[in-house]
Amino acid sequence: MKEYLVFRLYGPMASWGQAAVGGDRPTDMQPTRSAIIGLLGAALGIKRDDESALQALQQSILVAVKQCVPSSLIRDYHTTQVPSHNNKIVHRSRKSELSEDKLNTILSSRDYRCDGLWIIAVSLTEQAEISLGQLKGALHKPVFVLSLGRKSCPLALPVQPQIVMYEKLKDALDTEFPAITRSLNEDALWLGSNDRVTYFWEGDKAAMEHSSVVTTHPWDEPVHRGRWQFKQREMHQLSAEEDAHVSI
Amino acid sequence: MSQFIQLHILTSYAPSNLNRDDLGRPKTAKMGGFDRLRVSSQSLKRNWRVSELFEQAMSGHIGIRTKRFGVSVFDALIKAGVKEKSAKEWATSIAGVFGKSKKDALEIEQLAHISPAEQDAAMTLAAVLAAEDRAPTQEELNLLKADQTAVDIALFGRMLASSPAFNVEASCQVAHALSVHSVVVEDDYFTAVDDLNDGKEDAGSAHIGESGFAAALFYSNICINKTQLVENLDGDENLANKAIQALTEAAVKVAPKGKQNSFASRAYASYVLAEKGEQQPRSLSVAFLKPVNDEDHANAAINALTTQVDNFDKVYGACADSRYAINAIAGEGTFTELLEFVAQ
Repeated sequence: MKEYLVFRLYGPMASWGQAAVGGDRPTDMQPTRSAIIGLLGAALGIKRDDESALQALQQSILVAVKQCVPSSLIRDYHTTQVPSHNNKIVHRSRKSELSEDKLNTILSSRDYRCDGLWIIAVSLTEQAEISLGQLKGALHKPVFVLSLGRKSCPLALPVQPQIVMYEKLKDALDTEFPAITRSLNEDALWLGSNDRVTYFWEGDKAAMEHSSVVTTHPWDEPVHRGRWQFKQREMHQLSAEEDAHVSI
Repeated sequence: MSQFIQLHILTSYAPSNLNRDDLGRPKTAKMGGFDRLRVSSQSLKRNWRVSELFEQAMSGHIGIRTKRFGVSVFDALIKAGVKEKSAKEWATSIAGVFGKSKKDALEIEQLAHISPAEQDAAMTLAAVLAAEDRAPTQEELNLLKADQTAVDIALFGRMLASSPAFNVEASCQVAHALSVHSVVVEDDYFTAVDDLNDGKEDAGSAHIGESGFAAALFYSNICINKTQLVENLDGDENLANKAIQALTEAAVKVAPKGKQNSFASRAYASYVLAEKGEQQPRSLSVAFLKPVNDEDHANAAINALTTQVDNFDKVYGACADSRYAINAIAGEGTFTELLEFVAQ
């Protein structure tokens, strides 16, 4: 038996940042490991420059995700005006920045997932310095606002964190949550469910017994927040028909 | 945990093109599988930040307007026993932070607003320089202007890759505004006539073009982390309250300016629900997952929103401690009371 902290993430728009260089800011299909660490870190009130606290959190948890619906991709064309860099001037408001004579336009294209719904199961590692209860409390009453990968993508549901005990990881990820709309069938209709779900997990590949488990190596294990460095990690995934008894 | 203030806003815009993509067409997103009109959070924030409201929210915190600040610093250094030549040099570099130094003088060329916090920081730095008998470093000079943060930066944050010392974590979250109903972006085929063409030889137009537009009732969601905002403003709760009120007023009254001259689409919010509490903030967009499709759009949207608030509370427990709403369709509540509520 293993203990899991299970919660649900939903919002009309989400952006699970992948490796991004320059103006292209792609999104993954499901929350990355670094995104979940960031979300929990924000809930706990860990500041971005607090490397040791971030590292402690990172070493404490294993993350598994169930992508419940396919979600769709949109690309946002984004322009920003910024004044040329000048060491002598620190602008104290946006209005003052825009009053500079020379303004440059920065272009970027940012990707989002629309109509996404994910269930997250967090478990503790052997060297965990934090308890699932602490994480649960922090999600209920967070210190910083939570978001789905980008600050402009708020959560559109209470995440309803709960601590569950299961033999199998899949059972934790199949935890039933209340319907978002009037019924689970209606949820499936508006969120475009195709009755296929995908499980993503780290650690033991055999946590799900199936012949088509795929192992990938995403770059989403944070190395250093300040330098914005990530390394690869091993992740297993399995796409399957949603079990008949769990209707989304 | 923190104190959160959430705003849920419904605003109706007549046909317009508030926020454009790379093709000049209105931005869209999908929600509930249907296309929705969208105004990006960046567009909303930019229009609020550059509005007069934020400057007004800062008034009273702006300090003195002077060219002669260097003289005060010089006097302080001389009083602390610094040699005249060094005092002049150091005072000039400190004053130079706030404006361009005049040649061979302590004054700067323009009038500069120097906040009380900046004056304090400059005088503290002068005392350190006098005690250690050395010139200020570039970093010390840079920090002089970082001490007081404007309300817009305290709310929306700032990231400067080149000088992280000035980074500020945003205390306010602004969602992309999405229409509560499905939209089809329409195309306006237009021609422009040349006034000096009398049409005798060539009756054609001087310019033809196409412009996308759509009308929508938008739901927008804003969440302010008051605890963090107060921290960003160095503990000044009074200023934080002014900032929250300024943001509320901007969000309710300031419209995105895209294609404003073609569509004159300025609008005030029709319905605003403000919520306060320490619970995990959540947007109410799910109320519109099923697109609103009703002859009376505005009331249908308000009903969907208020039902969603109740249903969330029923299923998950109270999602906020207190609430206040204004409804400009039914004429309920007042904006003044809303401003009082958010700043209490």
